Amino acid sequence: MTTFAPFDTVQITEVAGEIFAAMIDGEPGLLFPWTGGPIVLSEPLFAWVEMHDAFSGRVVLSTETSTAHALVRGLLGMTGGEAVSEADLVDAFGEVANVVGGNLKALLPTQGRLTLPVVGRVAPSTEGLTRFDGAALSWCGRPLDITVWRI
Amino acid sequence: MTLAADTFSYVADLVRQRSAIQLAPGKEYLVESRLLPIARQAGAGSVDEYVRELRRLPRPAEHERVVEALTTNETSWFRDVAPFTSLTGHIVPELLGNRPTSTLRVWSAACSTGQEPYSILMAVLESNPALQVQITATDLSEEVLSRARAGRYSQLEINRGLPASHLVRHFTRVGTEWEVSQRLRSMVTFSKHNLLNAPPLGGPFDVVFLRNVLIYFDLATKREVLRRARAVIRPGGYLLLGGAETTLGIDDTWERVAVGRSSVYRRTERRAA
Amino acid sequence: MRALVIDDSRVMRRIIAGTLRTIGYSTSEAGDGREALDLLEAGETYDLACIDWNMPVMDGLEFVTAVRENREWRGLTLMMVTTESEHGQIVRALAAGAHEYLIKPFTPDAIRDKLDLLGLLPIEESV
Repeated sequence: MTTFAPFDTVQITEVAGEIFAAMIDGEPGLLFPWTGGPIVLSEPLFAWVEMHDAFSGRVVLSTETSTAHALVRGLLGMTGGEAVSEADLVDAFGEVANVVGGNLKALLPTQGRLTLPVVGRVAPSTEGLTRFDGAALSWCGRPLDITVWRI
Repeated sequence: MTLAADTFSYVADLVRQRSAIQLAPGKEYLVESRLLPIARQAGAGSVDEYVRELRRLPRPAEHERVVEALTTNETSWFRDVAPFTSLTGHIVPELLGNRPTSTLRVWSAACSTGQEPYSILMAVLESNPALQVQITATDLSEEVLSRARAGRYSQLEINRGLPASHLVRHFTRVGTEWEVSQRLRSMVTFSKHNLLNAPPLGGPFDVVFLRNVLIYFDLATKREVLRRARAVIRPGGYLLLGGAETTLGIDDTWERVAVGRSSVYRRTERRAA
Repeated sequence: MRALVIDDSRVMRRIIAGTLRTIGYSTSEAGDGREALDLLEAGETYDLACIDWNMPVMDGLEFVTAVRENREWRGLTLMMVTTESEHGQIVRALAAGAHEYLIKPFTPDAIRDKLDLLGLLPIEESV
């Protein structure tokens, strides 16, 4: 049933780990595989990019909106009680998806383009799409789901 | 044990000025855990005490240790840049001038995960592509040595001070990682070694890199390590220490060589006092 | 010293510019290669440009090529800052005239290390 899987869970986890270590946490070791069963989000935020090349696919990041806020605060070096603006939230969470997608794309044999990231409160439709292995992650105990689809 | 607010802000300022890393409030635990071993070694009872003393009597070598301990764990390639410029601009041309052919032998002591010996190779081979180079690289930890032998680095690691031209010339991608070429790996031998024991095989050496190691030792140990290193360096051979390090006051059988801003010493034939 | 940060992500520009300012640079920003060229053509001068690859209107590679074609801008050091990390892509960028290449994600000290290599670190204040 499988056509080739473009990247595996280990690679996705490594890529995400490097982004968090370098730009969000300032140190490694805060991102782990999620062990709490299927991830169910009550107030989700989604960010995704698409690539069209050797593999035509979509990489989707999803997490609780509150987690996205925390993640963006880390990225922007915000401290204390500063609130994240909606514009910053969208831009920053989208940029995280962009960097994840870009690093995964770099694993492919040939190079195509990545689409600009899209951020939304509703998941992009996956009707008729094949799902590949992604990575279900825990960041400081909060779920972060990375899913990969062939489009 | 909580850190005093002004200890934290002093350390954060120091680190920010030297490395552009921002230690935001909330990272007190990091400062505490990373500086405690250094504080103890300096004879202080706590990090607060250590920093108080440092503020009272600032010492560049101690500042260096503090920044070291708090910057991220990846070791840099071409660390501090200047020593490698000294190597290719001054040291190697002089050594080859005296002795045109044969192999350049280098000892990289405390080589960690291998960035230093591979950097030495990349630097020397750029200006001397046909030169035979043999590097003996040693460290105390078998764990870092096996990483060094494999020559595989993460993207974060290769971002640290590795010129892009060297990256494309000497590395290939393997999945998410980058691997040093077989050619370069064949020119380095990695082995476990304690600086207080008899020197490793591979000498006598033309150049010894002993960078940012002596700072962790007391004066008597520094002398001993330098004495052992000297025994395996050729007359007129070179010793390279870390940025804030010096043989001054420790061992007067070395001559400081004024090459740029690096700590470069040449073995002289003076008798030790 | 002056730096121009060129990236279509506002957040990424903010992060890079923030690090450069901590190092001691004054910074300007552009959202794509065309905007950046406009600044140069208007007579703005910089010591360093940090350039994303994938941008609308004019991408980073096109910008690098344009800069290297103009002798007036010889003093501008060009560093790519991008997720493009495949070996062939880096070769392409260097061949087009980029001086250095930093892969995203990066740490602040990775930027600092690259500037040290390029001899573009402002003189440090003493502590």
